[in-house]
Amino acid sequence: MIKLTDVCYVRLGTADLDGAAQFATEYLGLEISHRSKNAIYLKSDQREHTLCYFAGSPAEQTAAFEVAERADLEAAAAELDRLGHDVRLGSVQEAELRQVRSFISFKDPTGNTIELVWRPAYGNRRYHGERDAGITGFSHIGLCTTDAARDEAFWTKVCNARVSDRIGDAALLRIDEVHHTIALFPTNRSGIQHINHQVATGDDVMRSFNFLSERQVPMVFGPGRHPTSSARFLYFEGPDGMVFEYSSGVREIADELLYRERQFPFEPKGFCEWGAKPQIKEFRN
Amino acid sequence: MLEQLRYVRLVADDLRRTADFAQRVLGLEPIDRDQELATFRSDYRDYTLAFATGARAVQSVGLEVRYPGDLDAALEKLRGLGISGGRGAPEDCALRKVKDMVWFGDFSGNRVELVVRPLNSGWRYFASRDAGIKGLAGVMVRSLDIEKDLSIWTDVLGAHVSDWAGDAAYLRFDDAHHRIVLFPASRPGILSVEYDVEDLNLLMRNYYVLRDLQIPVLHGPGRRPTSEQLFLTFSGPTDVLFGFVAAGTTGNAERRRPRQFPAGPAGLCGWGSECKIAEFNNHARRRQSHERSERESLT
Repeated sequence: MIKLTDVCYVRLGTADLDGAAQFATEYLGLEISHRSKNAIYLKSDQREHTLCYFAGSPAEQTAAFEVAERADLEAAAAELDRLGHDVRLGSVQEAELRQVRSFISFKDPTGNTIELVWRPAYGNRRYHGERDAGITGFSHIGLCTTDAARDEAFWTKVCNARVSDRIGDAALLRIDEVHHTIALFPTNRSGIQHINHQVATGDDVMRSFNFLSERQVPMVFGPGRHPTSSARFLYFEGPDGMVFEYSSGVREIADELLYRERQFPFEPKGFCEWGAKPQIKEFRN
Repeated sequence: MLEQLRYVRLVADDLRRTADFAQRVLGLEPIDRDQELATFRSDYRDYTLAFATGARAVQSVGLEVRYPGDLDAALEKLRGLGISGGRGAPEDCALRKVKDMVWFGDFSGNRVELVVRPLNSGWRYFASRDAGIKGLAGVMVRSLDIEKDLSIWTDVLGAHVSDWAGDAAYLRFDDAHHRIVLFPASRPGILSVEYDVEDLNLLMRNYYVLRDLQIPVLHGPGRRPTSEQLFLTFSGPTDVLFGFVAAGTTGNAERRRPRQFPAGPAGLCGWGSECKIAEFNNHARRRQSHERSERESLT
């Protein structure tokens, strides 16, 4: 069993590094923690970085999860290798680029590039956003899946994720008490489907809705409230068509023994209890 | 002196269309209906909204006072301010389902009615649509001269200013942060009628219902810096706007100190929602001669 302890960072390739940096700071509200010639590192919480844009193809997308011990990393590599995944141990230089002590890289069954990292860097300074978006931290990712049942089995059987709820066949998976850290979305491609940052209050969600709308940022879903996690949400499009989400008030599952996952319909009312209709390809039939 | 905000009476040209709006959009319960009148329930009160057409139709805000003696006292004090009002005839009282009443016009020409023993419903409210309405919450009234109209509300009727947003005065006379808002404007009349809904979820559900019904939302969803109410203001079937509000500060009224918030959208919404209401965008208040507006025009 691969023990994921937290989602750690997302790496996105882009042809327009300056444009991505501008969106991430002025619109999304992240803080630049470090900038190199070919990459920009963005901070959203106490961690040194949780989002990295690098010069490259927008198809190059990586999601990273943290493991607690070096032994966990070694055990994970052995297990993935046994299952036939192409596992690669990151070089020292690559680990430095990721601000982690050590990491392995592999592809999940859909073909998403996943990294498992050990000892990711925390900062000595707290996060202070470029604008007052109320961000409290990078919280979860939506992952594309070409076979929801197969990928659910991978994340729950090979890794330690548990199903919190399902919307149609799309499983919302938790690895700690937070309702979901990985959301699987059935589609015909691999890649990261959305990137979530938590904000402090529902007021922050609504303020950002108006702030971003005024600046013509394409709104793709919300403001709304998820019946699954009870979080108030807003989805909008960033550079290279990547969907970003703000949400607040996500449900926590404290009692693992008593909690039972629920089935919601794969239609607008399964995604929003206020009546917002998604304009996101993966959220529509 | 004021017990509670009781009802709003509006003039409608097309009673069928306005009644349809009250039921289908607001989700209120229809009560009385004839050729010239349609009334709607929103809570324990027999009605809180009346649309009327024809000769007897007037636009007015109804407020409850406890005793007929309060009516006499109010008329006396109004005369002191140079305002003449009138006692309601028995047919006026019957039409409004009250025991006794007086009416007067404020300095701007808004009609206010003070009523005694208005009818409550013995049966609970049953909504036409699940909008989550809890009751009539507030009325925004246009004023040509805030200071003079305010004197009626504070000196005669005993209301208190809870807060200011620009020169708009939020008036309270019960547990709520405000029931009446006087808004600076270039013409008189009721600006909007607001209903309380259960919570944020109901407010936002209504927002999407209104969008589906293609009702123009003119302001919000937002949150008022003054009352901390969540709000949503939208077009009605006449020139009077309607709104849903939820949550907000209550109680502790005596110790509240009126605070000055900015004029315009900044003082009306803490979320930065788009505002398409002329009075809220400050277009009308230029006509008013106030030191504050002069100062602001310099900046």
